[in-house]
Amino acid sequence: MADNEYVVQMKGITKVYPNGIAANQGVDFNVKKGEIHALMGENGAGKSTLMKMLFGLEQPTEGTITVNGEEVSLTSPTVAISKGIGMVHQHFMLVPNLTVAENIVLGMEPKKNNLFMDYKKAVEITEEYAKKYNLQVDPDAKVRDIPVGMKQKVEILKALVRGAKILILDEPTAVLTTQETEELFKELIHLKEQGYTMVFISHKLHEIKQITDRLTIMRGGKSMGVYNTADISKEEISRLMVGRDVILTVEKEQAQPTDVVLRVRDLEYTNEWKKKMINHMSFDVRKGEILGIAGVEGNGQRELVDMLFNLNMPDSGVAKVNGHNILGESQRKIRDLGVSLIPEDRMTFGMAGAASIEENLISDRCAQKRYNNGPLFNMKKIHEDSDKLIEEYKVLCKNRTQKVGMLSGGNIQKVVVAREFSAEPVLIIADQPTRGIDVGATEFIRKKLVELSREGAAVLLVSADLNEVMELSDSLIIMYNGQIAAYFEDTKDLTDTVMGEYMLGLKQQSPEEVRRVQHGE
Amino acid sequence: MGNKRMMRFEILRGCAAIFIAIAVAFIFILICADDPLNALYCLLVRPVFNNGALNISSIYMILARMTPIIFTGLAVCVMFSANQFNLAGEGTVMAGGFVAGLVGIYVPLAAGLHPVVCILVGAAVGGALMLIPAWAKVKLNASEMVCSLMLNYVILYVVMHFLSNVFADRSQGSVQTYPYLETARVGKLIAGTELTWGFLVAIAATVLVAFFMFRTRWGYAIRMIGINESFSKYSGMKVGGIIVVSQVIGGVLSGMGGAIEVLGRYNAFLWKDLPGYGWTGITVAILAKNNPIAIPFAALFISYLNRGCELMSIYAGVPAEMIDIIQAVIFLFFAAEQFMAKTRQKMVVKEAKEELAKKTEPAAEGGNA
Repeated sequence: MADNEYVVQMKGITKVYPNGIAANQGVDFNVKKGEIHALMGENGAGKSTLMKMLFGLEQPTEGTITVNGEEVSLTSPTVAISKGIGMVHQHFMLVPNLTVAENIVLGMEPKKNNLFMDYKKAVEITEEYAKKYNLQVDPDAKVRDIPVGMKQKVEILKALVRGAKILILDEPTAVLTTQETEELFKELIHLKEQGYTMVFISHKLHEIKQITDRLTIMRGGKSMGVYNTADISKEEISRLMVGRDVILTVEKEQAQPTDVVLRVRDLEYTNEWKKKMINHMSFDVRKGEILGIAGVEGNGQRELVDMLFNLNMPDSGVAKVNGHNILGESQRKIRDLGVSLIPEDRMTFGMAGAASIEENLISDRCAQKRYNNGPLFNMKKIHEDSDKLIEEYKVLCKNRTQKVGMLSGGNIQKVVVAREFSAEPVLIIADQPTRGIDVGATEFIRKKLVELSREGAAVLLVSADLNEVMELSDSLIIMYNGQIAAYFEDTKDLTDTVMGEYMLGLKQQSPEEVRRVQHGE
Repeated sequence: MGNKRMMRFEILRGCAAIFIAIAVAFIFILICADDPLNALYCLLVRPVFNNGALNISSIYMILARMTPIIFTGLAVCVMFSANQFNLAGEGTVMAGGFVAGLVGIYVPLAAGLHPVVCILVGAAVGGALMLIPAWAKVKLNASEMVCSLMLNYVILYVVMHFLSNVFADRSQGSVQTYPYLETARVGKLIAGTELTWGFLVAIAATVLVAFFMFRTRWGYAIRMIGINESFSKYSGMKVGGIIVVSQVIGGVLSGMGGAIEVLGRYNAFLWKDLPGYGWTGITVAILAKNNPIAIPFAALFISYLNRGCELMSIYAGVPAEMIDIIQAVIFLFFAAEQFMAKTRQKMVVKEAKEELAKKTEPAAEGGNA
């Protein structure tokens, strides 16, 4: 193969982050001109790190990058853009208060009299590119008002207007509905026909099969090889990605739900931009059951959890744990009622990175008699219990004094989970409990969750991972647009097609059907 | 990085900062001293050795002057641990000292009891004053840094008013109070030196604060809030209350330091300006990386340099303000997060590679389309 057919060549890339994590170890990654190249791997396999280096957001510790046959040093995104590389981030980098056109020309605004921004010209540019690449957007709409799918198009247009010939798409479909995904794929194929090269980061097998030409698989910071998409089976990809055939089915007995633990009635919440995020939500979680909440992200799940743990106040409504109000109560009071929370944002709420594992394990119970002798800590007890938890939850670490910030994502989550699960909770709120962590930790946490519910805890599981909610939940709510779109008493016969229709708002159960989630009263 | 390696790096970094500071100082010494070598000798050696013998009186002086900055260093250490950038150490030292002095003049008590009561009153005054910025922070979300900084000047001028208009001893040539009752003085640890029992109290306070910070639930809460306030709140800690407590403890410690200093070193209250111990306390706490155990060592270092600068100004004609330059440079390099970041990164890479070498690795399979 002649070298010049590659537009991007990354050779022997190693990246060590300041916290000691070697995210890439001697990775080779080559992209041919005009192809859609998938970069696959589990969360934490090093895909994002590799792409950040290609886009100049990070610099490799070792290795070389060649773009269009020329060795380059990508010290910043500005340099990367000048080499024709564009990136569409998973979390959009747009200014919500500006219009689509303003966002697209941001930093390279057309000028009137060399002084003022020429807004009309900006709209023209936007329309011209939108037409040329068949990416329909509304130039005058404020970004905060447009749907996710359009935001993504704005991101792609932004890159194209800046002259990108190589587009990096970081999990572009993660936030999209099925229809939006289909539309995106058509647009990407259209771009490919016009000679653009794309790197497509994803771990959704069917998407990869559908749209890409070749794929590179990463695992544990290393490249597991390059394959023609057509020549490799889904099973083979899966095996290379996770290293073993993981079947994440959790064995669980039939739930025997009894009394209502968490009762939520008529909860309403309007966010700071006057958008109604939660609309008359009522449901019950019973002792001994796992109630799952599924839904495309951004349909009110996060706001719901925030309110149940007083990180936010609702407009109105009732939420009680065993008959005691929890809305607006201090976190101390809520925890004393037996509520545990695995927060979605574990880095902000779940842990103190510069503190030791042990210190992270006692944060909610440091005032308990068990751990204090008069004014002093009972260090012996604290050490004992910490060691026990580290062992029971299989936290991979040097010892209990290691700083939590030095652990890997999965092990950080194990520390969070160890603390929350060992608090003898009557209600566990698990918000995306396994997001972004490795398979082993995921399996472990899921098993524990089932175990605790069978021992009598009530579990409210919020997850964007369809597999997870379907596997774990005894009964299931689907949220759409701040409301309960559907309630399924039993998840056994549920298929993802059916769920998809409710999640995307194509279907909605009748109020009577939804009301079944209220047990009594 | 492993904890031990981290520690080694921090020590290396600290030494580098100190070395650079002294190098910078030397440049200034070269500029303004007639005999730079003698000046350097005064700065570095003369505080402990003179003419081939131990400079005993100077050594006692160094120890004596550690006392107030140990207290303010501890105060800053507790407050900074809770991420509260409270700078009112300066004012609370003065207020604590002033009120303790008044008790020492006007409230006759038994010999053993008197200084204890004075010091406790000074501590209470310091603690009470710190309630102001702490309360404003928690209830009004006012920056404790701005509040406490301004508080220093309010305290200074209130004290000055009472000193010159109400409590002044008119028979004296300068503005000062009547002398303390003999019973109120903090006794000398060694006769004929500046060293008082206050030094031992400071060491005891260090041990107490260390225990408080690392072995009690309140100290733990203070540290966790300093690391991640959202996490502490989510964990069910009373964040507002702990923030207030941390600053009140800071006030108590610096008030105590002020009381011990005015009753140990002088026979009447005569400060007419902020004494500077609060600012030095910040340098001390930063040198000690907010670790109470390291505070006396940091205080010793600063006190040593102070004495060196003093000797330099006496014997080598270098202005005594040199200490401020040295302190400022140390401060700058300690506070600069990125100072020696490259060295750190190299150490991290080395360790990561060692770790990887230990692990068995998944072998890459064929596949080269």
